[in-house]
Amino acid sequence: MHRRAGWLAAVLLLLVAQPGTAGWRSGAAERPLPDAAVVLRTMLRAPALIDYEGTKVISTVRGRTAETVTMLEAYKRLGKLRLEFLSPESVSGRLVIDDGAASWQYEPGMHLVVHGPSFVSGVGQPERAGAILRGYGVRILGREEVIGRSTMVVGLAAGRAGSHRQLWVDEVTGVPLRTEERDARGEIIYVSYFSRISYSLNLPPALFQFRRPAGARVVEFYLSGDPAGTPAELLRLARSPVIAPATLLGQYRFRDGRIAHHGAFSAAVATYSDGISVLTVFQTPSARMAFPAVGDPVMAGSGPARFLDLGYFRVLLWQRRGVNFAVLGNVPGAILLQAVDELNAAQPR
Amino acid sequence: MTHLAASQRLSAYLDGELADPERQVLDAHLRGCTVCRRDLAELARVKSLLSALPEVEPPPGLLADLREAPARLTSVLDSVMAWLRSAFRRPAVAAAAVMLALLLIVLPIAKGRLDRLQAANVGVDVYVHEQALFSAADPFADPAYLGLLISDANIALVGQRRSPEEDR
Repeated sequence: MHRRAGWLAAVLLLLVAQPGTAGWRSGAAERPLPDAAVVLRTMLRAPALIDYEGTKVISTVRGRTAETVTMLEAYKRLGKLRLEFLSPESVSGRLVIDDGAASWQYEPGMHLVVHGPSFVSGVGQPERAGAILRGYGVRILGREEVIGRSTMVVGLAAGRAGSHRQLWVDEVTGVPLRTEERDARGEIIYVSYFSRISYSLNLPPALFQFRRPAGARVVEFYLSGDPAGTPAELLRLARSPVIAPATLLGQYRFRDGRIAHHGAFSAAVATYSDGISVLTVFQTPSARMAFPAVGDPVMAGSGPARFLDLGYFRVLLWQRRGVNFAVLGNVPGAILLQAVDELNAAQPR
Repeated sequence: MTHLAASQRLSAYLDGELADPERQVLDAHLRGCTVCRRDLAELARVKSLLSALPEVEPPPGLLADLREAPARLTSVLDSVMAWLRSAFRRPAVAAAAVMLALLLIVLPIAKGRLDRLQAANVGVDVYVHEQALFSAADPFADPAYLGLLISDANIALVGQRRSPEEDR
């Protein structure tokens, strides 16, 4: 009897020790993967349903340096965000609060408050899943645990407008717990992940109300200039010839434009969107702006240009016909180069 | 003759300046037009009032003063020119005048060049700031990273650029 019990115990130990041999042990791992559309819809719905607070770590290549920034991030539906920067020292103490209508930044070292437009979209948009599936190569790569939570690994393939990106989306809440972006060589250029997260049904609204510290200087940074709804309106607003095609790269349509001003700087701005991501083209006559010496030298079209990688999006600067151009977008550098060719080939109006 | 043409000739008619054929035509019009007859009577009354006014003699020195006015103006201009010539003989005044003239020419050029450099200095920060704001509509954009980019650009636009700290 004792011998039989010992044999059963040995068999059980073997079953437990060998992963995948016991169906009852890893039931979660063997659940079928959901459809990409289901995961996307859960993710797109999350901003309208979920409050959370956690610690986020962002590591990114910015120009020639790599930097890791740690912050406390709190989100309250619909579109309220609070960021308290912990490290490195150059951002430590910085507070950013976006109440969904406007954003406030407090810089303790300068005792300065910057007030500007909101940059958080708190609208749940599950209906956009179809457009994403059509425009991007979306694949569900598997199921993984991140900080103790089950996530779906979503891959966005390097398509015409996409990039090498992976998201680890919380299977229950839809919140991306980790994001990775790689360049054309497969090198990681951007990682963002929560090292801890707590979900809440209702975070206190006071967390997302900014109270100006006594005596702090306040600077307003709102977008300036009248908006232009069409390329023709932008051409009318600009005092110098501007290139503003109705579409870029075949799938990016003109969304809006305006003449941006900041001190001595002014530029004609044309924004294009494929329904998901945004490409922006800035144009300033060279007589009114020297060519910015930032980023790395590259060849664009038939001339020299500068390329600046900011991890999440990239900047390409070049000159043509006495005009300084810049195109920015969350697309690989090769796609920005195609945009340069298109803009160089277009005739200014 | 129309009523308008007749009314325009009443003053000449009264002064006896019309030729006979025209005067006869106007006589015929006056016979049939009470308005013109009334206007003619009014004109005759004004003329008789003016002729009753006494003649006034101009002041005796008026003509001489008018003749001397250009000479006085020339004298003032000569004094100003003499003062300028004497001022420019003093090196400090001459140097200040040259400096002022140079400043008036050089300042706009220098300001244009400084503005051009200033625009290049802030341009990329404006690009990043605005692209980050536009990217808020991208469902894959990480709002925390957008917040970092926007807040860094804000600081740079205020004139206090933060240098990302190398960690590799």
